[in-house]
Order: sequence, then C-alpha cells, then structure tokens
Amino acid sequence: MKRQSVAGAIFFLISLISAPGFAGQGDLKPFERGSWQQILHAHAGRPTIVHFWGVTCGPCKVELPLLGQFMKDHAAVDMVTISADLVPNLPGAARSMLEKSGLGAAENWIFGDGFVERLRFEIDPGWQGDIPRTILISGKGDITTIEGSAEMADIQKWLEQQSAAAAKP
Amino acid sequence: MSHIEKRSNFMLRKLALATITAVLCQTAAYAQMSHHQHASDAACDEPTLRCASKVTPAFASDGTLWLAWQAGGQVSVASSKDGGQTLSTPVAVTKERLNLDWGPDARPKIVVDREGRIAVAFSIFRDKAFNGQVLYSRSFDGGKEFAEPKPITGSNESQRFEAMALDQDGSLFVAWLDKRNRVPAKEEGRKYEGAALFFASSKDGGETYSEARMARDNTCECCRLGIAFAGPGRPAVVFRNIFEGSIRDHAVMTFTDPSTPGEIRRVSVDDWQISACPHQGPSLSISAAGTYHVTWYTNGKARKGLFYARSKDGGVTFSDPVAIGRADRSPSRPYVIAGPHELAMVWKEFDGEKTAVNLMTSQDDGVNWSAPKAIASTSDTSDHPLLVTDGRRTYLSWMTKADGYRFQPIENEP
Repeated sequence: MKRQSVAGAIFFLISLISAPGFAGQGDLKPFERGSWQQILHAHAGRPTIVHFWGVTCGPCKVELPLLGQFMKDHAAVDMVTISADLVPNLPGAARSMLEKSGLGAAENWIFGDGFVERLRFEIDPGWQGDIPRTILISGKGDITTIEGSAEMADIQKWLEQQSAAAAKP
Repeated sequence: MSHIEKRSNFMLRKLALATITAVLCQTAAYAQMSHHQHASDAACDEPTLRCASKVTPAFASDGTLWLAWQAGGQVSVASSKDGGQTLSTPVAVTKERLNLDWGPDARPKIVVDREGRIAVAFSIFRDKAFNGQVLYSRSFDGGKEFAEPKPITGSNESQRFEAMALDQDGSLFVAWLDKRNRVPAKEEGRKYEGAALFFASSKDGGETYSEARMARDNTCECCRLGIAFAGPGRPAVVFRNIFEGSIRDHAVMTFTDPSTPGEIRRVSVDDWQISACPHQGPSLSISAAGTYHVTWYTNGKARKGLFYARSKDGGVTFSDPVAIGRADRSPSRPYVIAGPHELAMVWKEFDGEKTAVNLMTSQDDGVNWSAPKAIASTSDTSDHPLLVTDGRRTYLSWMTKADGYRFQPIENEP
C-alpha cells in the first residue's frame, strides 16, 4: 500500500513536472518552429482570432483591452494571442499586460525563438514584423489578415458571418 | 513491514528523489538553453562582441575602425587598426547592466571626429511601461574611458531611435523620436498620434548638447531615422512620417542650418495606412554630386516591399520608386551608402532557412544598378546589415548570432 503510494507520488510528480505548462496556468507558451501549424491544427473547424502584439508597441496597448472585452462578450470564439516582439526576458511583462487587458484566460503564446524571420515566414512570408496584426481564421480555414489596430466592429461582423455560414445546411 | 519492503521503499524514495532532481535539472537546463540560446537574439549573455545583438561601425579619419555594440545589457566600444581582424580590449561605456532598448531598429551609435573624440549615444527602457531614454557619452582619451552616460534631454517622457552624424566643422547633429507632446494632448483630451522628431547638436565633441528642439510633430514612433549631410551645416533626416489619414509614408527634411528645420518632402506616396509599429526604418545617403539616395520598406496600397528613390534637386522631389529584392523572400532592412567609387545598397532576404545579405551597386549615381548578389549568409538570427566607408573602400558590417561579427569589403567580391 505504502509502496503503491510512493510509486504513485513519483508518477504524479513526473507527470506534473513533464506536463506542458508546468509552471502553472496563465503561462505563455513558447512560439517556436512548427507552432503556427500546431495552432492551425488545434483550432481547425472553429472560428479563431489570432492576435500578434508586443509590450513596447503603443497601438497594441490601446487594442489589447478591447480584445479582452471582445473575448468576454463572445465566449464561444477561440482567442489566441502571440507576443511577437523579440523579447529575450520579458514574459512577465507580457503576461501582466494580457491579464490587465482581460486576456489572461486566452491561449497566449510568446515568440520563443530568436530567429524571428523564420517564425514570421512560417506564418506569412509577406509579414515583416509590424504589430499589432490580427489573423481571423474561419471554420473552413480561410484566413483574413488585419494589419495594424483592428476595429472590433470588423471582427464582430466577421464573427457574425462565421455563425451565419455555420448555420447554413 | 519486512526488511525487503523497507529497503524497497527506501529505494523507491531514492529513485523518486533522483528522478525529481533529474527532471528539475533538465527543466532548468532547458529553460537556461531556451532563454539564452534559443529565445534570444544573441549567442550569449556577456558584454563581449561575440554576444552582441547589435553592432555599429564608424571609421576615424586616421582609418581606425571603431565598433560600438550592445551585449549582456551593456554598451561597449573597441577599435581595430586592421579592418576588424583584431580588436583592442573593449571598454565599457555603461558601468552597469541596463535595460537597453532591444527594439528591432534600436542600436548604439558611435561617431569619431577629426580630433579622435568619440561620441556615443544609445537608448534604454527607463521604466516598466517601456518609456525610452536617449543617453549619450564621450571619450576624449582615445577610447580609454567614457564619461558617465547622461540623458540627451531633460524631458522625462519617452525618447528612442536616436541618430547621430558628424558635420564638416566637427560638430555633432543628433535627432531622435520624442513622445513629450502626448502629455499636453492628453491634458487637453486630444488624441495624439505617433511621436515627434526632435534634434540637438554638440559643438564640443559630445561633451554637451544644445537644448532639444522639435523639427516635426506626429511622426511614426518606432522606426530608425537616417541622417546625411546635404552640405556643411545642412543635415538631412529621413523618417517614417504620419501623413494625413494615418498614412505612414517616408519624408525627408533638409535643415537650412543645424538649428533650423526645413520643409517636409514626401519621398513616395506608398499609401500605407496603418496604426501600428512597422519596426523598419529608412536609410539615406547623399553623394558627392549632391544626389539624395533613399531606401525604405512599405506595405502600402500603392506598393509593397523594399524601394529605392533618388533626388537630384536637394531632396525636394524624388524619382519613381524602384523595387528592391525578391518579393517572395521577404526582403528587409535596406541600407544605402554613397561610397568613394560607387553607390552601394544591401538588404536581407530570407529563403525559409537562411538569411542572406544581398548587394547591388551603381556606377552612375543611382540611375542603373548591378544585378543583386548574395555576399553573406547565416542560418540563425542577425542584426541589420550596415555599410560604412573609410573614404577608400566600402565595407559590410553584419552581426550574426550563429557566425559572429562580420566585417568585409564589398568590392572585389567573387
């Protein structure tokens, strides 16, 4: 019995430590090579908003809380944020800004590979790193890119189109 | 409990401890590796050149090459008498680890005047809201010691993206992007867009700078500036401006004298309406014939990609933009210089695996250009490619994470 509990404790600890997101809920996932395909695959079939931002980007600071409110008002939509600055040591600042903006519960990523050209190239070869940037992925996988600050009304309209498309027989 | 059971429990506990220790160590090691080698734009975290993320070159009039770089939270300077093959012992400009501006278009600046006085400027993030501050320092003993860095302006608002150039009379001209005007706008309930182009000059080799003055309000806030001289006492600045309707296209301003800003002249109507930080500023060089040469990046309605244009009338009107690089290879970070024998332009291209620096040259002041050729490449992240001349040859300066610092003449390439 005791042996089982010790063995169980080992298993529990190993699984706890080895699990992705070991450091706790609210942590940022490192966005690395292949992460973009992983995101597309994980959200396939569901309308998804992917928002690229950065802690030093002025317009991002204005837009983040609006997106946070949008997520609150539309619980059904998949919200993904990706901190796309080259930030070697600032996941804390990124997490803090996300939480203050009401996006703490979103699926939050942070560029985790210094070779940002390669990361961006995987997402969109035409993107040179300007942020904010929002990619709307329809349930069918169609991609709409909004450069710069997005208007929430435009995202709302897109989401309504998704719902209408899904409702069609 | 039997002896065997006790031993077995002991073994299990030992195994548990060893396993947890191993996994924790592995996790810590991964985090360390991930942090320093993977997620960072630098190969390591020491103040050495090998660990630099940004390196800026400057030639002194005696032909000595000077480098300023940021690495390990510090700005350091060293010199080379043999074209970068061997370096002097680096000297720290900063005495402590600082939160140096790591924005893609930030880098330390260095200028060496005819008397060998070295002026340095760089930006830091001075608070948790990422407000910037431009600091300057100087060395009057040939780079042995640098004065304690001081703010270039008394304003406590945000400044970033300083640019510095040496005038013919030995004075220094500095321009930067400054957010001080957002304060009165906020007080009056007005929306404030972008930043302002501010400038100052130094007549004592960078010991002191004149009071900061504004050249233009509401410019884009996150792109590097380019400075060149149209003649003695006539600095010209290229920057991403915000034109009517939030259009972030490029403009050149040629000063009448170092304290008198001139008219804004639009380089090109690209029609890039965007409320964002493009993080990719322009480059300007003025040839001996007085021709302005500008390269820039845009993603406008009228055109997208890298472009080049020239002005034969002192930066008043510009030629039709010429596209640079392969559109399918994400061309970026263009830099142009009017060298002693030819005009040269470099930029980066990424093919999905490697980043290459491509070069084009012009023998007729920018009318015709050679076919592009790759002159260097790397398989990990890299600094912007820069060009610098000692008056005899032009050189490429390029810091790469995987292959270290490269300094190579661009002529006589195979």
